[in-house]
Amino acid sequence: MFNGRINYRLPRNLLFVFELLALMLIFLYYRHTLNRITVIYSLALILLVYISNFLLLKITSGDNFIFLIVTMLVSIGVIMIYRIDPELGIKQILWIGMGIMLFFMTYLVFKRIRGWENWFLLYALASIALFILTLVLGTNIKGATNWIRIGSFGLQPSEIIKILAIFLIASYYTNHEKFTRMKFGKYYLLGIIYVFVLFLFLQKDLGSVLIFLSVFIALQFIYEEDRKLVLINLSILVVCAIAGYFLFSHVQSRVHTWLDPWKYIDTRGYQITQSLFAIAEGGFFGTGLGLGYPEFIPEVHTDFIFPAICEEMGIFTGIGIIMLFLILVYRGFKIAINQKYKSYRIVALGISILFGIQSFIIFGGVLNMIPLTGITIPFVSYGGSSMLSSFIALGILQVASEELDLDEE
Amino acid sequence: MFNIVSVIFKYIFIFIIYVFILSIIRLIYLDIKGIYPIAVNNSAYLKLINRKDTLPFKVREYYPLGDKVTLGRSNNNQIVIKDPYISKQHLRVIKDEDKYYLEDTNSANGTFLNGERVMDAVCLKNGDRISVGQVDFLFVNKE
Amino acid sequence: MKNNSINKEIRRVIVVLVMICVLFVSLMVYLTYFQVFRAESVKMNSYNKRLWINEEKILRGSIIDRNGKILAYSEKDGETYKRVYNYGNLYGHIIGYSYRELGKAGLELRYNNELLNISKSSALNELKNIVAPNTEGNTLKLTIDHHLQELSRSLLQGKKGAIVAMNPTTGEIYSMVSMPDFNPSALRESWSDIVEDENSPLLNRAISGLYQPGSTFKVITAIAAIETGTAEKGYTCKGSTTIGGAPFSCYNKTVHGNLQLTEALVKSCNLYFAEKGVEVGIEKLEEVSERFYMNKTIPFDLPVVKSSFPNRMNMDKASVAAASMGQGEVLISPLNMAMIASAIANNGEVVKPILVKEIISPEGSIVDFAEREVLSNGTDGFTASELTNMMVEVVQRGTGKNARISGVKVAGKTGTAENHTGKDHAWFIGFAPADNPKVALAVVLEEEGSSGGTAAAPIAKKIILEALNTIE
Repeated sequence: MFNGRINYRLPRNLLFVFELLALMLIFLYYRHTLNRITVIYSLALILLVYISNFLLLKITSGDNFIFLIVTMLVSIGVIMIYRIDPELGIKQILWIGMGIMLFFMTYLVFKRIRGWENWFLLYALASIALFILTLVLGTNIKGATNWIRIGSFGLQPSEIIKILAIFLIASYYTNHEKFTRMKFGKYYLLGIIYVFVLFLFLQKDLGSVLIFLSVFIALQFIYEEDRKLVLINLSILVVCAIAGYFLFSHVQSRVHTWLDPWKYIDTRGYQITQSLFAIAEGGFFGTGLGLGYPEFIPEVHTDFIFPAICEEMGIFTGIGIIMLFLILVYRGFKIAINQKYKSYRIVALGISILFGIQSFIIFGGVLNMIPLTGITIPFVSYGGSSMLSSFIALGILQVASEELDLDEE
Repeated sequence: MFNIVSVIFKYIFIFIIYVFILSIIRLIYLDIKGIYPIAVNNSAYLKLINRKDTLPFKVREYYPLGDKVTLGRSNNNQIVIKDPYISKQHLRVIKDEDKYYLEDTNSANGTFLNGERVMDAVCLKNGDRISVGQVDFLFVNKE
Repeated sequence: MKNNSINKEIRRVIVVLVMICVLFVSLMVYLTYFQVFRAESVKMNSYNKRLWINEEKILRGSIIDRNGKILAYSEKDGETYKRVYNYGNLYGHIIGYSYRELGKAGLELRYNNELLNISKSSALNELKNIVAPNTEGNTLKLTIDHHLQELSRSLLQGKKGAIVAMNPTTGEIYSMVSMPDFNPSALRESWSDIVEDENSPLLNRAISGLYQPGSTFKVITAIAAIETGTAEKGYTCKGSTTIGGAPFSCYNKTVHGNLQLTEALVKSCNLYFAEKGVEVGIEKLEEVSERFYMNKTIPFDLPVVKSSFPNRMNMDKASVAAASMGQGEVLISPLNMAMIASAIANNGEVVKPILVKEIISPEGSIVDFAEREVLSNGTDGFTASELTNMMVEVVQRGTGKNARISGVKVAGKTGTAENHTGKDHAWFIGFAPADNPKVALAVVLEEEGSSGGTAAAPIAKKIILEALNTIE
């Protein structure tokens, strides 16, 4: 990247201007309740984002786009959250700050770790331990038992398990030959992933079930030599999906609400129809920040941040966010294709697919294009666990984007 | 008052977001093509002749040349190519009084200029063909 | 070998990438589709709380009749506005209601944007609205004549049914009544009773009720018979006969003897029309009835249920015969029937019915107005005038005698429709004066149990008289 500074200055400055303008507007909106801490925090975040983008260019020899794209997504998200609820906005700014720190830490640490692709058992056991912990300590929020409360601090273990699962799959396929030589070795991964999915299903976290399965199927499709196994896996899933529909009422009710939300507008269709109202009301350019009524949607700051953005910043911004995610996923794939080492390749693919599928499921859900499952948009929605784990994943992707030298020296 | 500002700003926001996206797409496009604006500004550079996808290792379409550029498999070279037939320190190109000189730095498989093995430092002229390992370059000097 | 497996891997990676791209592109396409095609109707849902936010800031416009009489208006009630319906039950079906708890219906729903003066969103309008927000909505001027509306309702008092009276030339609706009805002013208190009432008072029978038209449908069969030349030949009625194996008979098994079309219409001879209907064929009957907007959606200021004329593959003769005398599977809305009467009065032209005449801005200027629109050519002028003459005779000396008015030539047709309840629906359609029509109407009395001539024709007579005397 010769003289990269010249090239990357434009988007970085655009981001800076965008954040500054949005901040001015929000301050104007909350001009009566504004305090000094808010101003300091917000300016600090803008500075942190700018410096991070600048710094990253200096220290990494790999990709320079993903962090830039993510900081744009983060900015749009935090502006909207701040507008909906200043208190949550401040918290989100702190989460983002921590997330960016964590990104750099992950980058520096993971770059130096060698041999992680052989820790298959560790990933499997750690994940299952976390799952059991969730089941034992979990509190029920929004009908899903996927939170652990430690004091006033809530943690969503499934966010961490997502990354562990990607490492698990990567270590399995990196050492594929070793595993296939073992008795039943072919079915190790399949079995473990099914156990994960079973746990998630017990927690009634259907969104995560979808994410885990999508990432697994995609990676299996790419790396499984035994094509019959891919087919078997797919057919088992189809059968399970149909059986799940008929056996479990909460699955059925999701599908019914999806097919005709207007019929259940008073009850379980309330949220999705309020989301559709918001999107419809916004039009292509939106009402303008502070001029819409996104607070009519329940849970607007987490799962339903997207309709809020559409209402006040317009469908064009909504499409912009979708495009940013598409570019992010594309970059992730590009990173994977250019990566020399298989283990890093799989991890890069896994993380890209994770970002892509997770955002698709919730975008499609709030649009009522697919059945709604409550999950967050990575980097955009409010939430500590989601923000931190997404930045960790991004740090790993950043390492994978570099030309690594594992054999020499 | 706020309302007017907010309505005006929403158009500005959408504009900025899309210019941002376009500038990133443009950068990615340039990145893929391997054309850096700097390479065009620089008067002299090496251009890859092989089709990029026939080589099993990473190599770029263009390498701009500075005052002193070294090429090899090891990471401390300016131009790093992970071709097993290229030595860790393979060759160097030195600029002296607006002329570029090619010198082989005791490589195992040698460097070839227009098909002939380079034994001593040779002066490069526009259109020369340089072969190292499995890679062929064209030397371009626009001055 | 190694290279090969890497190529295979890259190929599969690209497959996955393409699939994710397809997903994302479909998201963008769906979002755009939703915004362009669905958003407008989604926004109008009464659960959308944003609709009510405007409500609290803007004085909802009034609704007035054709002579400027105020039918509904809003007044300040503390911080918000209160909607007042001046005439209770009288306009329940037309104006509808607008309540936060119950939603909106009728013209209040359909013309919500106009009543609140919410303009189509464009950048310019938006800025204008922010600089000088509007506080007052537009007024709707209806084509309804308040006196005729009151009379129509009083004539239906205690009965079930509907009346539609309109200007046959312009399509303006003078009165539209459906019984039983409801009082929009007291809707909140009586909501549960109204919803559970088995006579469904919320149903606007004039546009959402479908009835067998009975003998009134014979005008359609007559038009088909005249147009095809089938009417030139006479027919001998023996009181009863069998067609396609099924028994058919005239009302009270009366033997009408040898008759032509005029006499058949005057005496409402079932067998004549059953015979002629079979002769012209179901295709022709369907074509004629569709020209009069059966099987089609009638464009109107309120949603109209589609009337239906059956046409299946291989319909047997008996069904065709039943259809041609307005029995069996033929179902029609009173508004559609009034449009048929209007078309005959109007040289065969079917005009679009109009309920909202003008939209008037708070400053008093006309923002929008309804224009006369010919929907289709029901039949040619010659057939229409021939049929008019026959319908005049129906009232002069036939089944419609009870609608006779001295000094005015009234054209009409009665109908007595048998139905599954065992109690016949009584129909009358007509217009007057026959040589220069000013008013056309359709009256239907649901499950009245007596004939159209005795029950419906006297009501029609009173409405025609009032309309001719009072409406300019």
